[in-house]
Amino acid sequence: MKFVLFSPFAKASAIGRVTALLVQACAPLGHSITIVRTEQESLLDTPAHACDAPVIPWTDAAAVGAAIKAADAVVYQIGNNYSYHRGGLSWLGIAPGIVCLHDFLVAHMFVEWAAGRDAEAREVLHEWYGASAPTEFFAMKDPDAFVEMASQRYPMTEWVAAMALGVISHSQWGMPRVAQSCPGPLRVVPLPYDAPACKPAAPVAPDPQAPVHILTVGHMNANKRVESVIRAIGTSTTLRERVSYRLCGRVEPPTERALKSLAESLGVTLVVSGETDDAALQEAMNHADVVCCLRWPSFEAASATAIEGLLYGKAVVVTDTAFYSELPSDCVQKISPDNELSELRTALELLCNDADARNALAARGQAWATRTFNPTNYMEQLADFARRTCAAEPLIGMVGAMTRDLSAWQASREIFGDEYLTQPLQLFQIDN
Amino acid sequence: MKVLIVNNMAPFVSGGAESMATHLKRNIEIAGHQAEILRIPFQWEPATRIPSQMLMSRAFELEGVDHVIAMKFPAYLVRHPRKTLWLVHQYRQAYDLYDAGHTNLPEGQLGSDLRRVIKNADDACFRDARRIFAISDVTRDRLAKYNGFESTVLRAPLNDPDIFTGGPAEGYIFAGGRVNDAKRQHLLVEALAHAPRTVRLVIGGPPDTSADGDKLRATVERLGVQDRVRLDLRFLDRLEYARYVNGASAVASLPFDEESFSYVAMEAATAAKPIISTSDSGGVLGLARHGTTGWVAAPNAKALAQVMADVYASAERTRELGVAAQACWEGFNITWPATAQALLS
Amino acid sequence: MKIALCSSFVPFVNGGYRNIVEWLEASLLEAGHEVERIYLPEVDTPELLFKQMAAFRYVDLSAADRIICFRPQSHLIPHPRKVVWFIHHLRPFYDLWDSPYRGFPDDAKHRGIRDALHATDTAALHEASAIFTNSRVVSDRLKQFNDIDSEPLYPPIFQPARFQFRSMNDEIVCICRLEHHKRQHLLIEALAHCRTPVRLRLCGVAGDPGYAEMLEGLVAQHGLADRVVVDHRWITEEEKADLIADCLAAAYIPVDEDSYGYPTLEAAHARKPVLTTLDAGGTLEFIVDQQSGLIAPPFPEAIAKCMDQFYADRGVTRAMGESARSRIDELRIGWPHVLERLLA
Repeated sequence: MKFVLFSPFAKASAIGRVTALLVQACAPLGHSITIVRTEQESLLDTPAHACDAPVIPWTDAAAVGAAIKAADAVVYQIGNNYSYHRGGLSWLGIAPGIVCLHDFLVAHMFVEWAAGRDAEAREVLHEWYGASAPTEFFAMKDPDAFVEMASQRYPMTEWVAAMALGVISHSQWGMPRVAQSCPGPLRVVPLPYDAPACKPAAPVAPDPQAPVHILTVGHMNANKRVESVIRAIGTSTTLRERVSYRLCGRVEPPTERALKSLAESLGVTLVVSGETDDAALQEAMNHADVVCCLRWPSFEAASATAIEGLLYGKAVVVTDTAFYSELPSDCVQKISPDNELSELRTALELLCNDADARNALAARGQAWATRTFNPTNYMEQLADFARRTCAAEPLIGMVGAMTRDLSAWQASREIFGDEYLTQPLQLFQIDN
Repeated sequence: MKVLIVNNMAPFVSGGAESMATHLKRNIEIAGHQAEILRIPFQWEPATRIPSQMLMSRAFELEGVDHVIAMKFPAYLVRHPRKTLWLVHQYRQAYDLYDAGHTNLPEGQLGSDLRRVIKNADDACFRDARRIFAISDVTRDRLAKYNGFESTVLRAPLNDPDIFTGGPAEGYIFAGGRVNDAKRQHLLVEALAHAPRTVRLVIGGPPDTSADGDKLRATVERLGVQDRVRLDLRFLDRLEYARYVNGASAVASLPFDEESFSYVAMEAATAAKPIISTSDSGGVLGLARHGTTGWVAAPNAKALAQVMADVYASAERTRELGVAAQACWEGFNITWPATAQALLS
Repeated sequence: MKIALCSSFVPFVNGGYRNIVEWLEASLLEAGHEVERIYLPEVDTPELLFKQMAAFRYVDLSAADRIICFRPQSHLIPHPRKVVWFIHHLRPFYDLWDSPYRGFPDDAKHRGIRDALHATDTAALHEASAIFTNSRVVSDRLKQFNDIDSEPLYPPIFQPARFQFRSMNDEIVCICRLEHHKRQHLLIEALAHCRTPVRLRLCGVAGDPGYAEMLEGLVAQHGLADRVVVDHRWITEEEKADLIADCLAAAYIPVDEDSYGYPTLEAAHARKPVLTTLDAGGTLEFIVDQQSGLIAPPFPEAIAKCMDQFYADRGVTRAMGESARSRIDELRIGWPHVLERLLA
């Protein structure tokens, strides 16, 4: 099959890395692929992942148009970051295709997209969430409260799903909203990822005195629960004595000060590395014993960091929610968000004190992750899914033609949804 | 040209529009074209089903068709770049019947939403039509009033004018057509009771229901006029029917508020027979003109009785009125060749 | 019963499918039922297929006690008592996909339409209370592509009593459209190899006048003008019955047709054996070799042998004609059986 894949492709983009892996998986399967970079114009020149496939900027309309015309399937990587996905969003409206949805919560992307499109954006909010939605949505200014409100009530998943011919996502938890809004088929496929610089752990005799390295990766905002980890370590003698907790990723100065202050007051060894390059990050991964991947609330379909931690053969600690709940319980250490501090402390103590248990967990996790988050498997599923969406397209076209007539006649929502219209069409339903 | 005539169909119910379509087809073929009829099943109960029926018409692809002639809602919504409408009627329950309170559209918001959908679809259809013809003045007026579109009146011709040859009057007044309350054949029977014994009446046609037939028979009994009226209450084949018309002294057509001339009146005029009608018969009065082509009485038994008596006053005058009726009718040039030509133009 | 006969149609194209519907209507009326014929337009352009199918789903025929559906996609019409008399699929999307007759590219878009069509047809057929086909060939295809079981119900001809045996002359007749697909040219080539004075009469309308010319050219080329008649025109039903009544035998050798074809049945009613070929398709469901007719490999010499056999041994030919007639009853081809099955 010939694919066109719209994706951010900057080296800094985890989704870009996923895309690069998919490109590699294509040739052995007999597929060909063209990448269309979707970052906003000011970022289109940033260094990209290396790959064998042709890469076109989304702004080159002629080239993109030609690629789409020649393709068997058009695929869009979509996530919550507008600056990365701007081009994809733009083309999705013109050339419908499969959406690989990386975040179920895309409200932040929606806000940026809505700039200069006030009426349209309100229309969208009204359509999916009711008459009071537009006002409430745009009135919420506090970032944390906005995330809370959006993840509960206005995730904007439907807005994106409705534009797609079919949606692939990477875990189940956000799919109900997708099912309500996407006209085509749906599928859940594990996110492909890799551990490029994974060094097998040197067999070392467990030393009860050796320091235990805990790592958290990513943009250090409140939902990463860094504060909780510090507190868990700080309220345990064992952990305090043995654990070195490292943060790799962007952290705002006020947050950094607060966390350092907390760590100091509790006697916790905290290393704030800030933003690191790939090599340093890989080194940190290799060096770590435990990766803490807590999230509350969570809005990703899948966590690249958690998957990476597993692929690197580390013991991974997660919050029992969303994507993480769907990981096998014998492959990760799950912490209930209702009892976070207590469970976290107990879990970290166990992982610290019992190196065998820690290594066993990590080994199981690594084996499972290698099998599961597999680019070849993803490409096979994507190709199969593309066939399914091709079969859905004529039906979507059929409904589209009727919808256009009904809209031109100003049919009400009640008329649109009437049983006499909808029931006879159920014959065409494809079982997912 | 390859011409497709598009009409509704109610399964297992054969209506007047069916034979109209058949005759139109034949005449289009006579004019040198190819013609076929597409009959689209239409179910309007319950009213919420109507949008699906509209979408059904819109979904058809008419490849290889050069010209479409469409007659009723929602069949006329069919998509084609060269479409002429011969409007038999719109969905009246969204328009004039809605205003009169006779509608299957539900009360409240849903009903007005459905009306809006029907009107919007109609308006778009009329806008895109090549030409719009209306089957009667009333239909034309309704279209103008409710949708704001002009149309040309093009009445349905008789399907078999050649059998109405006319002939010597045999002394009876003939009332043909379906028998029901609206057609008011009973009024003629009641009039007979007030009329002189010379007046003879023949009522020939199928009652809509057996109750309609029973009622008429009971009226005859009650008024004791059995010796002056012949009830032939059944479906008459065309030749039987034509015989009744051709031998009549006069023909009566007095339906309440009829939209068109009425087939009975048209057939009478073709046979050069004078027409008896009533002042509230609506479209029939286009053909029945008191003192010129027949008689028009007030819609009561006494007034009718006088008029019926007048038929026998002067055989010569009665015959002349019949001739005038024929001339009047022919003046309209409502023939199938002319109709086909207009619909293809 | 109130019965609606439903089919798709192409305006101004009088396809053979109209016969089966109209003849069934006549039989149903004769048996005292009320019948309504529903013909709805359908074009087979891939991009337009599904947009039209919604129309069939919205047809309301609840006034009918039963509906009988013929040409696709009429089997999509919903009804609690839906009987399908399946004549053929949209074949470019089924058995003709891997053939030069597909007519559109084998690309992702068209494969998608194909997949959607298969799923839709299967689902619609599952709604039916009974599924019949016109031949074993079509039943096999329904099973292969849609995994659906069906019962062959052979289409009878209209008023079969019109076809009677009267005599046996020395002519083999082939009365059907003159078309490459029907292979009248092969019959002429065969006659050139015949050793007996058997004659050949080919009658029918040619869709392509070039083909009729080609046939006449062949006759001249082989010097057969005194033994072959090419009657290139519309043959009336009366003429057809006459020609068959007196012929020696009939020939019908189309390439791989689904059904045995009306010509086969007409001949059998008139107690005439039928000459056909191994690759003719549905005729082989009817003709039993050396009993109801002769089946030859599709080569002129082999066909010629059969023609000569008809001529040389008239007694056997006559007996084969009787056998052909009994074959009709064996396969229960007749309107009473059709009504019994459709109205069960």
